[in-house]
Amino acid sequence: MKQAKKRNYYDYSLFFIIIFLLCFGVIMLYSTTSYQAQMQGQTTTQYLKSHLLGIGIGLTAMIMISRIDYHFWERFAWIGYVVALILILLVLSPLGKNSNGATRWLRIGSLTFQPAEFAKIAIILLMAHLIKISIKSIDKIWTMVKLVGITFPVVAMIKIITNNLSSAIIILGIAVVMIFIATPRYDIFILGGGVGVGVLAIFLLNVEKIMNIGDNFRMGRVIAWLHPEEDPLGKGFQVLQSLYAIGSGGMFGKGLGNSIQKLNFLPEPQNDMIFAIICEELGLFGAVCVILMFVFMLWRFMVIANNAPDLFGTMLVIGIMAHIAIQVILNIAVVTNSMPNTGITLPFISYGGTSAMCLLAEMGLALGVSRKIKVE
Amino acid sequence: MSRCKTYNRKKAIIFMLCVFLVFIGLCIRLGYLIIFRGNYYSEKAEELHQRERSIKAARGKIYDANGVLIATNKTVCTISVIHSQLTDAETVIQILSKELEMSEEAVRKKVEKVSAREKIKSNVEKEIGDRIREYDLAGVKVDEDYKRYYPYETLASKVLGFTGSDNQGIIGLEVKYEEYLKGSDGQILTLTDAKGVELENSAEQRIDPIPGNSLTISLDVNIQKYAEQAAYKVLEKKQANSVSVIIMNPQNGEIMAMVNLPEFNLNEPYTLLTGETGLTAQEQQEALNKMWRNKAINDSYEPGSTFKIITMAAALEEGVVSLEDTFSCPGFRIVEDRKIRCHKVSGHGGETFLQGAMNSCNPVFIDVGQRLGIDRYYDYFEQFGLLKKTGIDLPGEARTIMHKKENMGLVELATVSFGQSFQITPIELITTVSSFINGGTRVTPHFGVDIRNTEGEVIQTFTYPTTEHIISEETSEKVRYILNQVVAEGSGKNAYIPGYQIGGKTATSEKLPRSLKKYISSFIGFAPADDPQVIGIVIIDEPVGIYYGGTIAAPVMKEIFENILPYLGIEQNFTEEEQKEYAKTTVIMPQVEGMSLKDAKSALSEQKFEIKVLGEGETVVEQFPIAGEEISDNSTVILYLK
Repeated sequence: MKQAKKRNYYDYSLFFIIIFLLCFGVIMLYSTTSYQAQMQGQTTTQYLKSHLLGIGIGLTAMIMISRIDYHFWERFAWIGYVVALILILLVLSPLGKNSNGATRWLRIGSLTFQPAEFAKIAIILLMAHLIKISIKSIDKIWTMVKLVGITFPVVAMIKIITNNLSSAIIILGIAVVMIFIATPRYDIFILGGGVGVGVLAIFLLNVEKIMNIGDNFRMGRVIAWLHPEEDPLGKGFQVLQSLYAIGSGGMFGKGLGNSIQKLNFLPEPQNDMIFAIICEELGLFGAVCVILMFVFMLWRFMVIANNAPDLFGTMLVIGIMAHIAIQVILNIAVVTNSMPNTGITLPFISYGGTSAMCLLAEMGLALGVSRKIKVE
Repeated sequence: MSRCKTYNRKKAIIFMLCVFLVFIGLCIRLGYLIIFRGNYYSEKAEELHQRERSIKAARGKIYDANGVLIATNKTVCTISVIHSQLTDAETVIQILSKELEMSEEAVRKKVEKVSAREKIKSNVEKEIGDRIREYDLAGVKVDEDYKRYYPYETLASKVLGFTGSDNQGIIGLEVKYEEYLKGSDGQILTLTDAKGVELENSAEQRIDPIPGNSLTISLDVNIQKYAEQAAYKVLEKKQANSVSVIIMNPQNGEIMAMVNLPEFNLNEPYTLLTGETGLTAQEQQEALNKMWRNKAINDSYEPGSTFKIITMAAALEEGVVSLEDTFSCPGFRIVEDRKIRCHKVSGHGGETFLQGAMNSCNPVFIDVGQRLGIDRYYDYFEQFGLLKKTGIDLPGEARTIMHKKENMGLVELATVSFGQSFQITPIELITTVSSFINGGTRVTPHFGVDIRNTEGEVIQTFTYPTTEHIISEETSEKVRYILNQVVAEGSGKNAYIPGYQIGGKTATSEKLPRSLKKYISSFIGFAPADDPQVIGIVIIDEPVGIYYGGTIAAPVMKEIFENILPYLGIEQNFTEEEQKEYAKTTVIMPQVEGMSLKDAKSALSEQKFEIKVLGEGETVVEQFPIAGEEISDNSTVILYLK
């Protein structure tokens, strides 16, 4: 082996894409929320301020975490998991904050915090740890089942207690992706994927019939997804408004700040639907640029994962990569009405200080892994 | 520590690839939405974002035959409040309720309602609107708007009609000529946010309103006023339900006046003349409909003796009677098993057809009708256009109510011959008689003459269908002669004006059921008899007291003709006898102002003046005509006393 080792590798590409996405997010957030804030009788920077605070704390945390050897965190894997479960349970306590019909937030002072955000990091950490210690038997189905099973309490609680299907899907997805990459096997995933696609196809082909049987909240969302125009004022409203925003953007958009859909037409554009406003203001060009930024970021994760000094590091970064990938895909799919509406934010860009803090902490972990890469 | 294995990397790359593919899929989806569906969605979005405010187009004006403006627009204001822009709701409520004379609660309710734009009051006078604008209240909008305005208020109300809140015609000519008058509203399109707040800096799209074209009608305000005055007199004197007058040019069907008393104020069409209150909505609407009804067109009636003109024309045309044919009237005529009375119970005795017409003798016309027979009579009825509507340019013309031919027996024929047992509208009657006296051409009665644009250029002149040779010129001449005789010496002599050859026919119809003893008195007349330039009909519904058409309706026509014949420039043309009788001399009006009434009267007694005294007192303070004016010796002199 060659001896030319650079000790201080740091993935600046990832670092700068994070900074870039954050800055872009801040600009879009300001554009999206200034009018709304004004209409609510506040200063135009009302939303921006709390978001920037979150980012500031988050960036500090990110840099600090990236400077700590990531192996340090491995010992907290189980503790984190338990804490995550407790935090989710706390939602039921008076600390829980109800918003938009679902209790997903914890309120501590003026800070609101989604336990699901923390749970994602906890699961990534725990899964990376468990995969590392059970790598010998990772090709056994039983091992895989146990590994997936370990996430079930969190997934189930997030789904049942906080009624947050999207976070539950993301956590499950993270676990599945991590196992997929850890195990040498393909068959089970191809089979699972095939069955999944099959079930989905059967469901979609018979969706009208099934619809008649169960007319509940989520079914309503499915209907709104398939025919948003049939119920423009009800469940199809947000989706339809999002499509109006996207469609009226054109190739290069109306120009930064010129969205009209953000003027209360599109409900809460700063959260799940910010991508629609990006489309409206910056057009197809801007939207594709944003997607390319995420692709680049994911590619950096892949590079870091593949060059990580050990399996724990690899799996940690793979988990983060899976998290960002799934969340971005789901968000854009919802905004473009490619799937039923589930409340899911666009990482780094959507409004939310605590959410940004959690994400940046994750980024700190990924950067921490990158620091340990031995460059030949 | 175990480093990740090759397969881990491979799988990471596979995962990355999968993610990449999904992203490409999403980009395609986005591209599809933006490129292929973009137009659709952006149109939908525009619809959502744009708020239109319409700018009312000024409705076209209506001018009379002399270019006098009889329907125009007045600028009025609409006051509305934009809730989100209000800063001081209390002051706004105070000021608006004071200026608009509305109760504070009513204003408060509207001001405090959370809506994009709440209309407080429309049709507010411009001065009030301007005053409110001067307060410069935040959130209060004063929009100018047009309101239809009729300077003559009640003049020809049922003919002109009025407009509703959207400036659309409700009745009358306003409805009929809606498409010409209405113009097209303009629009201001502004972008708004979801609450309807207009966005600053967004370009306004403005579509200018196109004002309506103006309509010129044949109605003459002066003639209308003369007719209205005469009609009002008789309405009051006879305490009649209603009086209708139509004055028309029999040569071309142009209607010069159409009076339907009582007229209502077109500027307040929803105010009942009777002043009734506390009606239910339905009763109110019925009362309004009744008030708005144009009886000359919308209602049919039993024409009575005026219809004898039709029987006369048909019989003369068919040659079944000549003016000298003799008839005898014992006071009744028996047709089949029915005894039909003449209005003169003692009978007219022996008479010629001409005399029979002058006497308006029922048995004569029964005989003439019988000579024609059911088939021929019915054919003429049809040929004269009596079964069809006249096609007048007013909405709601009523149809003739006539026996079916197959149901017509000799009795029905007899009653129809002198104008009973069927119903036609006044306009139908006057139109039909017009065709008999103008040489046999059926004209379409109408008001509309032409349409002009805002620059006053004629852009469309209306033409109306005519049917020629309804009857021959000879028959027409005979009819004119007979009707002239009716006025000159017969039952219509109350319409006689020296120097004018007037033709006409009286009628007194008994309303159904006959037992009520309610009557309609009417008179149809035209002048000059040899070349009719004007034809008129007067219909008095339910006069109290004397109800004979010849006694009460003919003088109304006379009064109207006295005024309008000179006005229309129809020269007086005295027959030799008349010249002798009414030889005119002119004298100089003496000065009587300052004299006592007695002295004044004696000073004027030398001439044949008719003296009218107005006011109370002993001394003449004013006289008319003024001293030194050359006047005819039989003029009316008015003296004002104090």
